[in-house]
Order: sequence, then C-alpha cells, then structure tokens
Amino acid sequence: MDSQQPEPVSYLCGDCGAENTLKPGDVIQCRECGYRILYKKRTRRIVQYEAR
Amino acid sequence: MPPAMAAEKNPSAARASPKADEYAALRELYGPHIESFDYFIDEGLDKMLLSIRPMDIAVPNSNTTLRISLDKGHLLPPRRDGRLDAPLYPQECRQARTTYHGEFKADVLIQYNEGPPVRQQNFNFGHLPIMLMSKLCHLRGADSEKLFFHGEEATEMGGYFICGGMERLIRILIIQKRNYPMGLIRGSFLNRGAGYTDKAVVIRCVQDDQSSVTTKLYYLQNGSARLGFWLGGREILLPVGIVLKALIDTSDREIFTSLTCCYSDHYERGKGVVSTQLIGERAQIILDEVRDLSLLTRRECLLHIGQYFRSVMEGFEKDDFETVAEAVLKDYIFVHLQNNHDKFNLLIFMLQKLYALVDQTASPDNADALQYQEALLPGHLITIFLKDRLQDWLRKSKRLIVEEATKNKSFDPSNAHEIRRLLSKSTTSIGRAIESMIKIGKINSQSGLDLPQRDGMTIQAERLNFHRYISHFRSVHRGSSFAKMRTTSVRKLLPESWGFLCPVHTPDGEPCGLLNHMTSTCRISSFYNSEEAIKDFQNIKKLLIARLVGAGMAQFLPRIERTGPPEVLHVHLDGCIVGSINSSKIEEVVNHLRSLKLLAHSGIPEDLEVGYVPLSLGGAYPGLYLFTNPARFLRPVRSLFGLSDGRPSIELIGPFEQAFMEIRCPDGGDGGRKEFFPATHEEIHPTAILSVVANLTPWSDHNQSPRNMYQCQMAKQTMGFCGQALKFRTDVKAFHLQTPQTPIVRTATYNKYCMDEFPSGTNAIVAVLSYTGYDMEDAMILNKSAVDRGMFRGHIYQTECVDLSEKSRENVMEFFCKSSLSRDTSAVIDSDGLPRIGEKIFPSEQYYSVCNNLTGSVRPIKLKGSEPAAIDYVALNGTNFKNRLQKANIRLRRVRNPLIGDKFSSRHGQKGVCSQLWPDIDMPFSANTGMRPDLIINPHAFPSRMTIAMLLESIAAKAGSLQGKFIDATPFANSVKENNENSGTSNSIVDELGPMLASYGFNYHGTEVLYSGLFGTELTCEIFIGPVYYQRLRHMVSDKFQVRTTGRIDQITRQPIGGRKFGGGIRFGEMERDALLAHGASYLLHDRLHSCSDYHIADVCSLCGSLLTATVIKSESQKKAKRDMLGLPTVRPPKNFACQACKTSRGMETVAMPYVFRYLAAELAAMNIKMELRLSNRAELPPSEES
Repeated sequence: MDSQQPEPVSYLCGDCGAENTLKPGDVIQCRECGYRILYKKRTRRIVQYEAR
Repeated sequence: MPPAMAAEKNPSAARASPKADEYAALRELYGPHIESFDYFIDEGLDKMLLSIRPMDIAVPNSNTTLRISLDKGHLLPPRRDGRLDAPLYPQECRQARTTYHGEFKADVLIQYNEGPPVRQQNFNFGHLPIMLMSKLCHLRGADSEKLFFHGEEATEMGGYFICGGMERLIRILIIQKRNYPMGLIRGSFLNRGAGYTDKAVVIRCVQDDQSSVTTKLYYLQNGSARLGFWLGGREILLPVGIVLKALIDTSDREIFTSLTCCYSDHYERGKGVVSTQLIGERAQIILDEVRDLSLLTRRECLLHIGQYFRSVMEGFEKDDFETVAEAVLKDYIFVHLQNNHDKFNLLIFMLQKLYALVDQTASPDNADALQYQEALLPGHLITIFLKDRLQDWLRKSKRLIVEEATKNKSFDPSNAHEIRRLLSKSTTSIGRAIESMIKIGKINSQSGLDLPQRDGMTIQAERLNFHRYISHFRSVHRGSSFAKMRTTSVRKLLPESWGFLCPVHTPDGEPCGLLNHMTSTCRISSFYNSEEAIKDFQNIKKLLIARLVGAGMAQFLPRIERTGPPEVLHVHLDGCIVGSINSSKIEEVVNHLRSLKLLAHSGIPEDLEVGYVPLSLGGAYPGLYLFTNPARFLRPVRSLFGLSDGRPSIELIGPFEQAFMEIRCPDGGDGGRKEFFPATHEEIHPTAILSVVANLTPWSDHNQSPRNMYQCQMAKQTMGFCGQALKFRTDVKAFHLQTPQTPIVRTATYNKYCMDEFPSGTNAIVAVLSYTGYDMEDAMILNKSAVDRGMFRGHIYQTECVDLSEKSRENVMEFFCKSSLSRDTSAVIDSDGLPRIGEKIFPSEQYYSVCNNLTGSVRPIKLKGSEPAAIDYVALNGTNFKNRLQKANIRLRRVRNPLIGDKFSSRHGQKGVCSQLWPDIDMPFSANTGMRPDLIINPHAFPSRMTIAMLLESIAAKAGSLQGKFIDATPFANSVKENNENSGTSNSIVDELGPMLASYGFNYHGTEVLYSGLFGTELTCEIFIGPVYYQRLRHMVSDKFQVRTTGRIDQITRQPIGGRKFGGGIRFGEMERDALLAHGASYLLHDRLHSCSDYHIADVCSLCGSLLTATVIKSESQKKAKRDMLGLPTVRPPKNFACQACKTSRGMETVAMPYVFRYLAAELAAMNIKMELRLSNRAELPPSEES
C-alpha cells in the first residue's frame, strides 16, 4: 500500500491562478490565497478524438 | 473636441468609456429589475421597517409592558465566509452552488413601560439574496474587462439572483393599477350575499412601503352600498354610511349634498352627464341605513366599528373601541391616504362613480386592459414579503417571551440580554424565507399580501441563447390564476397595450396572451429620476398642486360642496382628490402640464402620467387623473407641440393617458383621424411596438403575422453561441454552436443590442427547389461537405455537481478517491478519484469513484446514457465543512453534429427537419459561379405561408455578400421615409436590390441557372438561390430517439415501462391497435401487444376454471428440469401443477395470455369476485358440474 503512494494531482486556483499540488486527504484550499475552488489541469496523457 | 487629444490625455478612460456605452442600450432593458431592487436597498427597506407596527407585549407575572419595534436596516454587500472583508463574487457562488447574499441586520428598539426606547443594535436577520448589478453587487459599474476578470460575460446585465448556484429572476407580474377607482361588473360579486349586485367600484390602495389593500364598494339592489376589504382571511363588509360618518365629523345634510351635488336638473342626458335623479333617493337610503342602527354621531359610528373589530384586529386587545376603529380606518380603508377628509372625498367620489356605473351613464372599466394595470416589480415584491416575514417574527417573539415569562418565574423582562436571546431565536429564518421564495417561487404567508398568486413568482434565467435570456427579463405575466380560466378574454390583444406590450412576441399554446413581452422601448417608472436620485414624492405633489392652482384649479378646502361633471372635472393626484377644474379650461391645463413635463427643471417629473378622461356620452368616467407613482409602464413618443427652442421633445407616456391621446404614426396617413382631433403626438419609429426578439426578424412587415410569432418562439430555442464566459459556466445544460456567423441581413436592433456578442446561426446558401424528393413536407437537404466543413456543428455541455456531503449514505462520510487496488493506469479516473480532463468516456464506463470513509470500499460511478462524452473541466470545491474532497463540478462535452432528424429554421418561422446529408458531388451547382447550395428547401414552403421576407432576405443577402456590406432590414422603413423624395420611383425593396444584383452579373430577381449534380444536365427552370440566415434549433434526434426490444418491465403488470430515460417503450395505444386491425395485420398486432409485451403462460384448471389455484407439485424431476429454453417457451412439461381447489392435476392446462389478465383475476379475487375461464379443449368434465 505504502509503496503504491498515489501520485499527487496538480490544480489551478480559481482566484489567483497559482498551481497547487494536492495529495489525497489534503485540504482543498489554495496555498497562496486560501481560495477554496480549484480547477483541475488538463491531462498530460495523449488523448485521441475522432474529428468527424 | 478632437478625439485624439482626449485619448492621449487619459488613454484608459477613453478606452473604457465607449465600452461602457456600447452595452448601455442592452443594460437599459434590465432597468425595471435592477432599479426596483436598488430602491429596496436605498430607501425601501428602511421605510418598510418603520411601517411595521410596534409589538406591545404585556409580560405575565410582572407589571412591565414591552414595546418592540424595528428601525434602520443594514444590508451588507456579499462577503465570503470565514475571512472578513473579502468580497464574494457571483462566479464563486455559481461554482460552489451557494447563494449570492449579503448580511441583513436591523436595529431593534425595546421600550419598557413607556420609558425611553433602548436600541439593540445589529440584530442579525440572516442573509438576503442580492440582485446582480444592483447597488450592493460588487460588479456594479464594472467595465467589460473587470467583468471578464471575474468570470462573467462582458455584457453581463444582472437583474437576477443566484440561489444555490441557480440563476433565478423574479417575474414581473401585471396587477391592477394602484390608487385608481375602477368600475367593474363581475358575476362573482353576486356571491357576496343576498341583495348584492354584480357591480362594484374597486380600488387597490398602495402604501409607501408598496404593500397594498384592495377596497371594494359594492352596489346593493336597494340602492345602498357596502364597503368591503379583506381582514384575517375573510371579507368584511361595512355599510358605506357608517364609514362616511366615522371618517369625519359630518352631518347627514353634508353627506347628502356631497353625494347629490354632481346632479343638476338642467342637464338632461347630455354629454358628460354622469349622474341621474336617482342619486337623491340613494343618498337617502344610505343615511336611513345608518339611522336605523341608531348611529348618529361620529363617536357612535367609531364605537360601532370598534366593537365589531376589536376581536379581529391584532394587538388591540386592551385599547378602547374608538382607537380600534381609528386603526381600522387607517390600516384598511384607503391606505394610500393619510387624511380622513381625503378618504371621505374619495369615498364620495367612488359612490358617485358606482351610481354612474349602475345608471349606465359611465361605462365599466376593463380590468384586462393595460390601461388599468401596472407592474409588480422584484424589489417591491421582496419588500412586501420581507415585511410580512418580519411581522411574523414579531408575533413569534411575543409568543416566546410570554411563554418564557409564564414558565420561568425568575424571568426578568428588564434584562436586555435575556430579551435579546429570546428575540434572536428565530431571526435567521427571515433570510432563509426570502431565499427559499426566490429558489422555489412560492410565497408562504398567512395573509395573501394582496398578491394575485402565491407560487410561480420566480423563474430560472436560462442561457440557452441570448434571445431567450433577454426575453426572460422583458416578459410580463398576467398571473397564473388566469391560465386556468376557460374564457379567452384575458388573452385578447387589446389596443390599450399598443406600444407597451409586443403583439407578436407571445407564445402560442397554453400561455398565449398571458405571457407577454415588453416592447423594446417600453420601460417602467421607478423611484429614480433621470439623474439617478430618489424622487421626492411629497415635494413633487406639492409642486404639482401649486402648478395646477396656478393654471386654474379650484382647490378643495377640507370639504366643500361642489358640482360634478360636466361642469367641473375632479383632479386626482395619485388617488387623492385635490381639486376641480372647470371643464372649459381643462384642455388648457392638460397642455400646460404636458409642456411642463418636457422641461428639464420644472420640478414636474418627466414620467408624470396626465390621464385626462374627457367628457363623453356614457363613456369612461371623466376626470383628470395624475399619477407620479412607480411601477407604471412608460414609453417615449414625440410631442408635436415641441419646446420653444425647437429641440426634439420626447415625452414619456403611460397606458392610462395613451387611451385618450392622439398619437399618429409617421407613415403619412393619419390613421383615419378626423380633422377636429388633430394629432398631438407622433410615434418615434413604428418598430417601437415590437419586442427585442420580434425586432430582430428582418422585414417582418413583409411576413404573414403568425410566421413572425413562430420566429419569436424559435429564436428562443435556437442553439447559439452561448457565451464568451463558457469556460466559467456551470449551467446544468448549455448548448453551444461552434461556428456561428453574423447575419448579412439584419435590423437596426441587431446592432443596438450587440447581438454580435451572441450570434445564433449561419448564413447558409439556400436553394429553393424540389430535388430528389427528400425535401418534401418541410424536410430539407443539407450539403454533407458543408456540414463537414463545420456548418451547424455544436456541442452540449452538461455540468454535473457531485456533492457527497449531501447524500451521504447512512450518515457515513464519502469522498472522492481512487481505488488503491486497481493498478490500471489507463483508466479515466485520476488518482484523486476524479476524471482526467480531456479524456473521452464511453457509456457505462467509470469516470469517477467514491470511497466510503467507514468501510474503505470504493464505489465507481459509471457514465449514464448511450453516447460518449469528453471531460471538459473538473473543479474541486472546498467550501463545505472539513474541507475534504467532497464536492466537485464535472462538465461533460457531447458532440451534436447535424444529423438526419435535426431541426433547423430560417428567421421567418420556416422550420424544417434535415432529411439527408447529401454528398457535395451530387448537389446541383450554379452555371456561372459553380457554387453548390448548403441547404435545399422545397418551393412548397412559400405559397401558403407567405413569408415574403425570406425571399427578400435571400436576394438582399446575395447583394450584400457581393458588395461586402450588411443590409439593413429594419421593418416599416418605408413608412418613416421622408415623403419629399421623388415619389415617381417605386420604393419596393426588390427595386433597390435587383439592380445591385444585376450590376454584378446576376439575375435581377435572384434566380440562377443550376445544373443537376447527378446527371450534369441543366435544370429546366431557373432556381432561386441565395444566402439565408439559418438557425439550428435545440431539438435534436440524439436527445429524442427512443428504441427498445427488451428491457425493464413494470413490476406489477410485467408490461414495458414508459420513459426514454429508463429505456422504456412508447405506448401502442387503442388508436394504433385500431389501425392495425383495420389493415388486417393481426400477426403484427399479436407481436406488439402480446409477444413483445407481457407474454405469459398460465396454468388454468379446466375443471373449476380458475387460473389462480394452480400450485406446484414438488417432485424430483421438477427440480432437475432446467429451463434453458431460448426465446419464448410455448409448451411446458404438463402435470407439474395441481389445482388447489379441485385437489387434482387432472384438469390442468396451460394457456398463453397477457400477464395483466392474471393480475386482473387476482385483483378481482381480492374483491370476492371469481373469474372463471372456460377452455374450449378442456379435459373430460363431469356433466353435472357444467351449468
């Protein structure tokens, strides 16, 4: 379990735009300004769409 | 001023100011909502608090009395929870699904035993929702850059509330005009009791705090009258004589002469005579009624009233009868007047009007006409409702204190802290009540608040597209009670609403004529003057009276014997009779007042309504009715008198005065007006009678009128560019057109209201021809390549708000997380349990997972529906308690490309369904340009529908696109043209556009030679082809189609369930059955109604005929038998059942039947009815049992 520590996910603050990296169980709050709405960043993985 | 210089000096201001002006016209449309709420913030709140009667509490077990009153309210701008002074912006409320509200505090005054009042400051009454763009909103006055910074549209107009993340607005309702006595004839008045007639004079009196009391004066068969008003849930009826005597110290003689003075015998039934000889007898009857009760003086009358009312009036248990009676007169009779003499005069006037109505010397007023109506505005509604809630709170507090004092012997009423604790027990419920009123639109109050309806007060501000969004704020509703009425008279389009309500823009169907829309120029009078300062009504009234006296009005001393029409006319100012004017001079006075209205600094408000009802024979009751009050409809017209300096003079007029004004249209003709009624005013532009949406239809004057109505409907269901702030939006469902265009042919309104910010269609090349047959019956063929290039491509954005704290299962906390067991890194679910943005998910694929805090088990959530979606955005929300990851918004994006079955329409009520996506190579092509149409419609769409404007649009757009210019298609442009233009040339639009087309080498009439795409041969006739602005409607097959083979069934009947959501079927009803029977398609019928429905094999005992008595015989062979038959079993191994009643398995047979039949048998058995089946091939039967 411990070795399988889930990778942290990074979010953008809805107010100041700072990047926050949160682990599961962390408080949902921007570290810079304390805003409580965070937006998830787009995945870095390759995504394939059908363009028609 | 050289603009370059100014720009250099202050570049930022120069850049900002035109931007603010750009949307000014748009913002003005929202004025009625915002101004009324601004007034609530500025002054209405305090006035309302002062008007609440102090609550007297006699504390039991002590000799103290408390008097609690409210004073000085404070409404604070919205702030974030937790930290102080951080402003809360609307966007955060939408994201977090909370309410955009500010704290509401008020001071409470407590008075002990007539001592000095003790001020308890800042009582917290919870939070009140704040209207966006009102004076307390942080976005007020923000320029588009700031707006966009805060996640709003650049054009954000406000006018709505955010409650629980939903955008809701308070509907403007139409209610009776305030402070004007209306003569009505209604059958329901007969139900008031024996002796009542169907005639009454009704006045809706409105106090300073906008609360109203309706007073009715009923006519009795014996010639007397009764004054009626509602108190404590029932109508109280008082003989009018008692009220007259109770109001002032008066004599019978004075009442008699006041009533009869309007009659004089030297006018017979001439013009303007409203009174008849009978009035003397009636006055006698009124006075006799009072004398019969042996009430002679004012004191006696007051005692009589007080005696009757002390038990019903609240808070007067200890007062003497006279005080009670005075309070009744003050609070329930003509509440808009403070002076009893004014009330007396008004009551005399109403009696005279009532008798005129009875004698048919004056016509009844039409309650459905806009002339006698005004608007109920959001700010006023909140004021009224808040007052009601606060009064309720005072009552509750009183109960609490009395209870506490009786229970608790040591209770000390002089202890301020103790009182405060008791008072603040239920204070926050007030804020919650207002919020829930806005959320669900329901008004919960004991007294009806004199409102026409209790629910449906608010609606959601849908942003499906911009037209729909604007329409919500411009709509006025007649009241939900009228929707159920069988008669259609309320829905009629009456000439009184000319220029105020749009005749075109009303939905067809159920709410037709009840849900109207204000015209684009219509506004509503408010408490603010043009300099945005609050009007001082007292001052205005004083000034008006002074002006009137100067112009020749005889002012009434408190009471005076006077004559009535036709000699003199009474002057009413906001429901108060202030004097009389000789009828020969009145026209002069009216003209004088109108010229004063136009002057900027005369002190007379520009929106004064000068309702001059002239003398007539049996028409409306004459008089001069002046109104300064807010909530009246207003519209600008040009005054032909003009000012002395020759400036254009725009006058604001109301519907009451409009009915008696001579307003001409600038089309040259004078509307059939006679010479001795010359026009005094002129319309500014004919399009002023149309609403914003109706104004956007190009050349709507060339269309058949129902087509324009259809277009208004369809414009509101168009899938358009839904907003520039789409990125920040959290609408439950948003439609978005990816490649919108601006129309080539547009009206002046299009630019005025910045419709380019939210375009909603495409300029498609439309060929009108019958090609392939796939364009029959309003079907249309789309060019497949055009669609592939992006025409009409769209998306649906669905936002799902997952709040795990709300629906926690069995009080166990849940939060988002990913299962630690799954090593699958390819899944959509990220390590926080939420989906990865940009990932595509398929039906029933997991896209987020939830972890149970107690058991640690992980529950994945699958995607519902039958189509794939892409994750558009994910926002975490930490505003709930404990700040765990419990609340998130997930937005899904679904593709909606044009498909067969999708609905499209032009702007002329010509809707159609896509029937084929035809390959480009097979489309017909033009001989000289080689262009292929994007869209083919059938020529049969035109002859019966007569949408000529669509043909004009096609020609005009063609000319416009060749020239590179937008074409102005404002309707009625012909009628405002200066007549001095050489009238020899025809001014048809085709004659303007035809030569333009011809100069570019096209056919004068917009036709072209086309070649068949299939055969390459020239089509035998020239085809009308050109660009037409087409809209894509939101009704799409992907959201509607419904198919089913097998699936869920109903538990009881075993028939398929209904509803698309559950994969149900469509009802195959009786008419469908009849059709199949008539065709002899009985196999199909059997298949649909039986095999595909509740096919069932029942075991029936042929001996007793029962199908309920079969029981299973347990045997080894039965257990082993596997029922692995595929499809529908027809035969079952027999003899495994026995009849419980006959105790034998001899007669058991299997019968195929619908399962509901068996259910019916069971239901009948429950009612002690036996259903017996007689089988034709039954087993051997004992002959004796057969009957």
